[in-house]
This record gives sequence, structure tokens and C-alpha cells, in this order.
Amino acid sequence: MSNVTIKTAEFGSEPEAQLARSEERYRGLLEAAPDAMVVVDAAGEIVLLNVQAEKQFGYSRDELIGHKVTDIIPTGFAERLIADGSRTSAEALAQQIGTGIELTGRRDDGSEFPIEIMLSPLDSADGMLVTAAIRDISIRKAAEEELARTERRYRGLLEAAPDAMIVVNELGEIVLLNVQAEKQLGYTRDELIGQPVTNIIPEGFAERLIADGLRSAEEALAQQIGTGIELVALRKDGGEFPIEIMLSPLDSPEGILVTAAIRDISTRKADEELMKRAEQRYRGLLEAAPDPMVVVNPSGEIVLLNVQAEKRFGYTRDELTGQPVTNIIPIGFAERLIADGLRTDEEALAQQIGTGIELVALRKDGGEFPIEIMLSPLDSADGILVTAAIRDITARKAAEADLINKIAELNRSNDELSQFAYIASHDLQEPLRMVSSYTQLLAKRYVGQLDSDADEFIGFAVDGAARMQQLILDLLVFSRVGTNKIDLARISSQNALDCALVNLGGALEDSGAVVTSDHLPVVRADQMQLVQLFQNLVGNAIKYHKDGVPRVHISASRNEQKKWDFSVKDNGLGIEPEYFEHIFGMFQRLHTREQFSGTGIGLAICKKIVDRHGGSISVQSTPGEGSTFAFSLGEHSQERTHHDD
Amino acid sequence: MMTDVLLVEDSPGDVRLTQEAFRAANPAIRLHVAVDGVEALQFLDQQGVFADAPRPDLILLDLNLPRMDGRQVLQHIRGNASLKTIPTVILTTSNAEIDIHQSYSLHANSYLSKPVQLDAFEALVKSINEFWFEQAKLPQQKQARR
Repeated sequence: MSNVTIKTAEFGSEPEAQLARSEERYRGLLEAAPDAMVVVDAAGEIVLLNVQAEKQFGYSRDELIGHKVTDIIPTGFAERLIADGSRTSAEALAQQIGTGIELTGRRDDGSEFPIEIMLSPLDSADGMLVTAAIRDISIRKAAEEELARTERRYRGLLEAAPDAMIVVNELGEIVLLNVQAEKQLGYTRDELIGQPVTNIIPEGFAERLIADGLRSAEEALAQQIGTGIELVALRKDGGEFPIEIMLSPLDSPEGILVTAAIRDISTRKADEELMKRAEQRYRGLLEAAPDPMVVVNPSGEIVLLNVQAEKRFGYTRDELTGQPVTNIIPIGFAERLIADGLRTDEEALAQQIGTGIELVALRKDGGEFPIEIMLSPLDSADGILVTAAIRDITARKAAEADLINKIAELNRSNDELSQFAYIASHDLQEPLRMVSSYTQLLAKRYVGQLDSDADEFIGFAVDGAARMQQLILDLLVFSRVGTNKIDLARISSQNALDCALVNLGGALEDSGAVVTSDHLPVVRADQMQLVQLFQNLVGNAIKYHKDGVPRVHISASRNEQKKWDFSVKDNGLGIEPEYFEHIFGMFQRLHTREQFSGTGIGLAICKKIVDRHGGSISVQSTPGEGSTFAFSLGEHSQERTHHDD
Repeated sequence: MMTDVLLVEDSPGDVRLTQEAFRAANPAIRLHVAVDGVEALQFLDQQGVFADAPRPDLILLDLNLPRMDGRQVLQHIRGNASLKTIPTVILTTSNAEIDIHQSYSLHANSYLSKPVQLDAFEALVKSINEFWFEQAKLPQQKQARR
């Protein structure tokens, strides 16, 4: 094949020369183009090409001129130029004009490479020619391929993610999503791709991606990267559920995309809500408590407290929350929560539950006050917490101290009184013994030697001294009964009665009384005092007698509480009911000295003895018929056996 | 031979009553009186105004005395080789168990409490005289003294 003649010979030399010039110009343009260019005729044969085309395809110009273009672009080029039934070649070509068409080029050595061609028509003498600008797009294609692979990989990651994920472009449209997103939102992929993300996250997502005057889209996004954002998602069925989304940017050929990982936090939210309600309820209880309360975690830090605690300790809530409990209870609180080798935290705590522990609390101003704390465990998400109810026991402590002082004072004054009674009666005896002895001596030596007045005076003096002596002796007994330590032992009450009768000796004989008794039991009592008791009661029974033989009977019987009730019954004068209580008082007498001598202390001694045994004494009587004194010896006096000496 | 009794007693009323009672019981008894423990020891040790005091055949000792009480006097007597054989009888108003126990611990020969009634007191003195000077045998150490 010869050189292409674009112009046919029939146009003559002048036009021929013109043509040659224009062809020359065209060829110059062709060579100047940066891309490979070929000009193809309607038959699909190459009629012209530039040096870039030679280089790219590896042919020399001569090897291509006149050859089929399919040699270098096997498919897709020629076809585009061929008319079919519905269009002409020109029409077919027109459709391709100006659009880049991606095809494959083939070099002389047979290797292929991706090309993009741009077609443009060229009218010539030989008919319609087509100029094709051929661009080697190997590099771009490789880049595209790489991107596609990345995208595929990315999609794989997307699908592998446990959370629902969507990728949104700058317009807020969904460009990618995974199967979890489909499931959670109830849409199919196709229903979401290309749709605004507001369809599924109505508020808060798109806004975050939008630039305002102060920041770019990248900046807007950057502010959201990596932070969990709680929003509400909308399912296809209209249902809503709480989500947390995490955004991350994704550079892509289409601009910055945003990948959003969407997590359904319904369960967590529900848990949180439950926790919050429980906490609110608990806090409500805490605040309703009248005592200061603090809640302490296993590290000994205060996690919660009520307003009473704030007031009492002088701190604000913020000053205490998170602080060690030792700030307000320096000693003894934290220690109780600490496990040692032998026990766990729970055990350590359990040992303290429900028992009041007395400790010292420290106010912010440094003041201390005594407290009693009650601990109780509280299971929480953060482990076992300890709720401590703290009671200020300043007042109680003061009251206790006061009570102790008062008791000590009372004991002291009681002791002093007993001591006084003893010493007074004892020391009174000395001068009295002098008065008594010398009046007696006077009477003995001088009665009958002076006048009758003197005898009478001496008589009164002797009598007075004697009565005073008896009074002092009785007072001594009374004070001893009150002062001496009571010596409780199992003793025979029968034996005590027998001793009393021996002590009464002369009085008993003089009166001619008949004293009888039941079989009296063994009891728990102070021997000396029980003897004194019988002695006074039997003594009284004999003393206050009517004409005739005084009869006294002592008996014992068990009452409903299985205790022994004793009674001393006589046939004496009896007592008017109005005096039943009265007669057990100190110095209480029912008779004149002319009728009966006595100090009025005897029954007071009886009452004191019975009182000291924890028992009681009373009298029943019918005046003129006799009296019955009944006594019991209290809780400690009963014994199993019914046995006498 | 005269019988010498040392009465250690601070109460003049008791001294007189005891003198009266001894006079009635045994006129041969010489009753010497020391009004406190210090005087009693001076008498026994024949010191000062008591340089010529006889060795008593019996000591009647009250417990509660001024300056030096009866317990200390008793202790001194029992700690002294020449005095410890003298019968010493506690005669006091105290009925306290501790006093009784202490006295016997210090080797008192007996413990008597003063009766309240005159008759009883006279009877007691009478029986002291009968027991110690008519029935009991006493060590004959009178000659050993000047």
C-alpha cells in the first residue's frame, strides 16, 4: 500500500495542491497531539496515524497504514462505525462522538492494554474518515481495579462486623450497608441504597455531617469521630429503638464517605433505666431516713450519701463523694470491711451486719462526736456496697454518763446513809450506856433513900434509857439488813424458824404461847435474815396477844409460780384493815407504850429482809380474831426439793 | 498478895463502872488505869510516872483508844518476851467480827463485849474475877520483877 491520498486525482492540480496543503496541516496537528491518534476510513482501514500511535502499538507507520484497525483495537472500534438497519454510518458515529469509549488495544507483540478512545469525524475526499484519539488508561485502570478491590475488601469487613453498618456520602445518602443493617432496620439493601440516611436515623446523623459557617464538612465530621452518639433509629415498620453510632471517615473517589457503626442499645438502655430507677428509689429511701447514711464501695470510698449526712458532718455532697470513708469515720469502719487471710470481704461484712457498732465520727470542722453505725450490704453493678446508717449518740452517751454518775452518786449516798445509820446507832450506844448504867446504879443504890419524887424521876430516867437502847439496837439491825451483803444459799427454813424460837427464848416461855408449824421447805435465802424475819413475826404474834393462850402457826405452800408462800398466823388482837400497809413503815406503832413497848421498827425490818430477797410481805387480819402475815422470798428462793432440816 | 489488874480504857464512866464492879466482886484487886495505848506501854515498861508500876496479873484492854489503839498495845505485849505471858482480855463495846478475829490473831486470851445493862456488866466482871483469879493458874513471874 502506498501513502494515503486523501484527495482524489479528479479535482485537478490546483485543488490538489490545496488538498496537499490542508493534509499537511492536518498531519501536523496529528503529530502535535499528546495521545496516540489514528484516522480510519469507512472500511475500517487505517489511513493515517501519528508517531505516538506508532510507539504505543509498537508498529512502524508503514506496518499500519492500510491495515484494518481491528489489528490494534480488536473489538468495539469498528463496530461502532458500522451502520445497521436503523442508522447510517454517520448516525452511528454521531452517537459516539465526544464520549470516551473504553476498549482494549493490541500491540505488535500481541500484548493488550486498556485504552479510552475519543472519536471525531473528518470529512475527506475519500468519504467520511474517523479520527480516533487513543489514550492508554493502564494506570487509571489499575488504580480503579485497586479501588474496586479495596471496596470489596471493605464490604467484606462491613459484612463481618457484628453491628449494623451503613456508609453515607456527603449528601447524606446511604451508599453501602451490611446485612445486619438490613435485619435491624427491616429493609432490604435495595430499599436503602441511595436513600437519605434520615429515613432510618431521622435526627442527629445528617446534621452532624453538615458544615456550617465555622467549619468544613471534614471538621464537622472529625468532631464526631470515635465518640459514641446516642440516637434513635426508625425501622421500616415504624418502630423506634435506641442506638449508639460510631462514625469514621472513608476516603473514596466519590469524596469523603462516612461509615457509621450502629449498635442497638435497647437492652443496655433498659438496664440503665432499671438501674436508674432502682438508684432513684434507693436514693429516695436514703433521703427519707432520719439518720445520716453513707454508701461505701469495697475500696472504702463514699459513693452515695444523704442530706442528713451532709448536715451532720458539715460537708457538701461533692466534698464527700469519692472520698475515703475514713475522712468522716477515721477508725473502725473501713477495717471492718477488709478481708484478712481467714475471711472474705463478704464474710467480714456479714460479721458486722445488724450489730450496732460504736465509733467516733469526725466533722469537717474537726469536731468529733460519738456514733453508732449499722451496716447492711447492697448488691450493685460495682460489687457489694455497704450502706451505713449513722446515729449520733451524743445525747445517749451523755444520758448514759449522766445515769452512771447518778447511780454512783445514789450508791454513794446510800452507802453514806447506811454507814451513818450504823455509826450513829453504834456511837450513840456509848453515851447511852453511860446514862443507862449510872441511872441503874443510882436506882440500885439510892432508891428508897431519897424521897418518892426522886424515886419516880430515877424510874423515868431508867425507862427512857432502856427504850432508847432498844431503839438503837433495832436501828442497828435495820441498817445491817440494808447494808450487809445478802448471802443466798440453800437453807432449811425449818431450821431458821427453830433458831428464831431459841432466840425468842424467855419471851416465848413467859407468854406460854404454843407455836406450831408445817413441815417447812428448803429455800434459797440468807440464813441470818430469815431467822430475823421469823423472830420478828413470831415475836409480834406472841406480844400482841389477847387473854388466853397465844397460838401461832407457821405454814408454807407453793403458789402458781411454784414459789413458796409462808404465813405466820396468830390468834392475837388483829389489825384494822386501814393499817395493813401502814404497819410496815418505819417507826409505825399502833399501840401506846403503856399497852405495848416497842420501837416500830420490827416490821420495817421484816419488809426490808423480804425486799432484799426479791419477795413481798402483806398482812390479812380480822380485829379481835388474829392476823396472818404472809411473805414470799422472790424468784431465787424456790428449790426443787421439799425438805426440812 | 495483892492482885494487880491494868485497865486500858479512855472513858472515865467505864473506868468508874469497872472499878465499882471489881470493888463489888473482889476488894483485893488493885485496878490500875491507863487512858490510852501510850500510857499502857509506859506502865508495862515502867517508864516515867509508872517507874514503880507493878507487873499486872491481868490486862483488860479496850480496842478503840486515843494515840495508840488496843491492837497495837496487844501486838507490843505479845512481841515482848517478859510481857507476853500476861493474860490480856479485850473488853470493848465493839461486836464487829473483824475486831474479834484480829484480836485472837494477835493472841488475845479472850474477847468480851461490854453488856449494855448494868446487871449484866456487874455479872461479867464477877465472872472475870472468878475465872482468872480463882480458877485459872497464872505464871508466877512477880518475883522476877523488882
